[in-house]
Amino acid sequence: MEFQLGLALPTPNIIMGFDLNNHGLDHLKDIGGFSGKSKRSFEQAFGKFKQECKTKTLLLWSGQPNEEEDQKDQKKTTFSTIDENDAEEVDQVVGWPPIKTWRKKMFQQQHRVCRIENNRVAGKDNGRSIYVKVKMEGVAITRKVDLRLYHSYQTLTNSLITVFAKDKKCADDDYTRYILTYQDKEGDWLIAGDIPWQNFIRSVQRLKIVRNWS
Amino acid sequence: MHKKMAFSFPDEVLEHVFSFIQSDKDRNSVSLVCKSWYEIERWCRRKVFVGNCYAVSPRMVIKRFPEFRSIELKGKPHFADFNLVPDGWGGYVFPWIVEMAGAVPWLEEIKLKRMVVTDESLELIAKSFKNFKVLILSSCEGFSTDGLAAIAASCKNLKELDLRDCEVDDLSGHWLSHFPDTYTSLVALNISCLGSDEVSLSALERLVGRCTSLKTLRLNRAVPLDKVANILRRAPQLVEFGTGTYAAELRPDVYSDFAGAFSSCKELKSLSGFWDVVPDYLPAIYPVCSKLTSLNLSYATIQSPELIKLVSHCPNLQRLLVLDYIEDSGLEALASSCKDLQELRVFPSDPFGVEPNVSLTEQGLVAVSSGCPKLQSVLYFCRRMSNEALVTVAKNCPNFTRFRLCIIEPRTADYLTLEPLDVGFGAIVQYCKDLQRLSLSGLLTDRVFEYIGTYAKKLEMLSVAFAGDSDLGLHHVLSGCESLRKLEIRDCPFGDKALLANAAKLETMRSLWMSSCAVSFGACKLLAQKMPRLNVEVIDERGPPDSRPESCSVDKLYIYRTVAGSRFDMPPFVWTMEDDPSLQLS
Repeated sequence: MEFQLGLALPTPNIIMGFDLNNHGLDHLKDIGGFSGKSKRSFEQAFGKFKQECKTKTLLLWSGQPNEEEDQKDQKKTTFSTIDENDAEEVDQVVGWPPIKTWRKKMFQQQHRVCRIENNRVAGKDNGRSIYVKVKMEGVAITRKVDLRLYHSYQTLTNSLITVFAKDKKCADDDYTRYILTYQDKEGDWLIAGDIPWQNFIRSVQRLKIVRNWS
Repeated sequence: MHKKMAFSFPDEVLEHVFSFIQSDKDRNSVSLVCKSWYEIERWCRRKVFVGNCYAVSPRMVIKRFPEFRSIELKGKPHFADFNLVPDGWGGYVFPWIVEMAGAVPWLEEIKLKRMVVTDESLELIAKSFKNFKVLILSSCEGFSTDGLAAIAASCKNLKELDLRDCEVDDLSGHWLSHFPDTYTSLVALNISCLGSDEVSLSALERLVGRCTSLKTLRLNRAVPLDKVANILRRAPQLVEFGTGTYAAELRPDVYSDFAGAFSSCKELKSLSGFWDVVPDYLPAIYPVCSKLTSLNLSYATIQSPELIKLVSHCPNLQRLLVLDYIEDSGLEALASSCKDLQELRVFPSDPFGVEPNVSLTEQGLVAVSSGCPKLQSVLYFCRRMSNEALVTVAKNCPNFTRFRLCIIEPRTADYLTLEPLDVGFGAIVQYCKDLQRLSLSGLLTDRVFEYIGTYAKKLEMLSVAFAGDSDLGLHHVLSGCESLRKLEIRDCPFGDKALLANAAKLETMRSLWMSSCAVSFGACKLLAQKMPRLNVEVIDERGPPDSRPESCSVDKLYIYRTVAGSRFDMPPFVWTMEDDPSLQLS
């Protein structure tokens, strides 16, 4: 059974919808330089053009210059993690620090192994949270989900659709479909849905929602 | 008085002379001398290098160089390594293989970097080139072990199969068995990126056993330590070796078996692998350490004391890759033991952690710069830096050719003075006159770019992130850096002005990448219109850029020079300005 998330994405009003918080495009907030740093030298060279541009782009983003506090707020989503060990590992900026993907995977595998072991050490499988990271293609932010909160693929994907639909505001083709994939203990990426739910949550390391181009 | 001097060397003589000229730059210069030299050179060029696979079409390459035997192609922009280029962007090698299959049947070598390689491509290579010898895939993706099986089965003269940092769909370890029993010509095999737990160990052992010329063997993590001894014993002539997982039960028989096999390899110069290191097994490699010139410990999660012991056994080390577990103390030990060190890369063990987990600071870098006079190439991840340290490093190492510093938290100031790090990096470019590659980080204003534009005359590649204040910064770089070929920028407040003012510069470069900056769609259109020999690609997953006002910034911008025109394999989220009907006038 091929699992497909039928995300019918609305055509956005980009100007209104492009809000820093919902998009989780945290790295954009770091262009704090926009909010008035060192205007002096630029004006000397290039006059006022830059300022006009700044105003326009600020309007579009409808974000405040200082987004420091939003970083913490953003963790309070449906999927925010309460686990303190995890709190330090949320990917906040895409591609930073500049480490190659396979190297990053290895760090995450190593950390994940530690966490799984901690969970198991507690004894029973049920009752302990199983946090895995969920990444959606085209969305900068990685979220985390506690698989213990769901009892079937359907409930999991319903929840994912709800959250990621907010993130993924783009003019994708109406017929774009997404597939839920997961990485198992062996490091292989598989399409979710083939194995019984209980086996799945014991084996899954991380989730990724990818576009189905075919 | 002679008006013309006739140089009447026969073509064969010139060809013979040209055969000693290997570098592309020199061959390109040769071809510009006169028409007859151009002609002779193009018929005898055997190695072709294409730095951007979209800068030229395969047909154009084949037409100009009909007799090449080796081709090197690069695809995606460098920032693709860090997930900044969405999947499906491009860089497909298949069209190249198709053209070459027909026109260049004697092709021997294919080297690809950051390209999408499918099983279909690999199968076509296996079928089409009877004398195929070398396949080097670096940071490529899109293929599985099925494609590798095709190569193994058909390429009777294969010498090198090198899969560096590739993403391979690892369907089965049995592809190794597809090398026929009669096949013995393997010289280099690098499968370190393969993930699968099933590696056909017996096929591997047999392969290694019958290929007596094997010099390079890099195994993947799945190969257990206790099996490595069998493999090593069959290849005592190895010069470069990468272990699999470096963990095993602590048993004396396993240890002595392994250590014995290692010490029988008298020619080893380079070691890598070392996943999951059990420190008690490290002494097994001490006997070979004195000859080692290259050591890659970047997966080894061993702590500073063991690392210190290890490097102190390696006086001839020229190249070291290591995690920041080495700490400042380890780097000080390195500085006193390894006087021949030329290249150092220190990777972060916990890149996403908020607090430092190791004591690795600018001090370690200063120590190495002071103790290792031959140091030329540095990649250093750390959490704090000072201008004082950078100035010291610059004065200690005027021979730097590559300097990449990554201070993990963006916009981190000099921790001593809280100033920007402009002066520190300024010293680097001022003292290191041969600097070819530079990556910046930390708190930086337009000032650093002024230094770079003024002093970095040999700089070919610059990487910038979270830096600068205004377009003036970008303007300094584009107008000052005479040798600049590749510029990649992310999250900087650079907009239209500098780009448009320096449009002509872009044709002298291979490529420019700008993401999360402030370049407007209108400027992109204008640039594309005025500069027909540039491809201006807007990569934007938010939807068509013309559904927003022209003054709106584009998400990602990739500009490169090309003689091949617009490409035709773009995914839906890439726009080039040629498609824009409003440009069809003028």
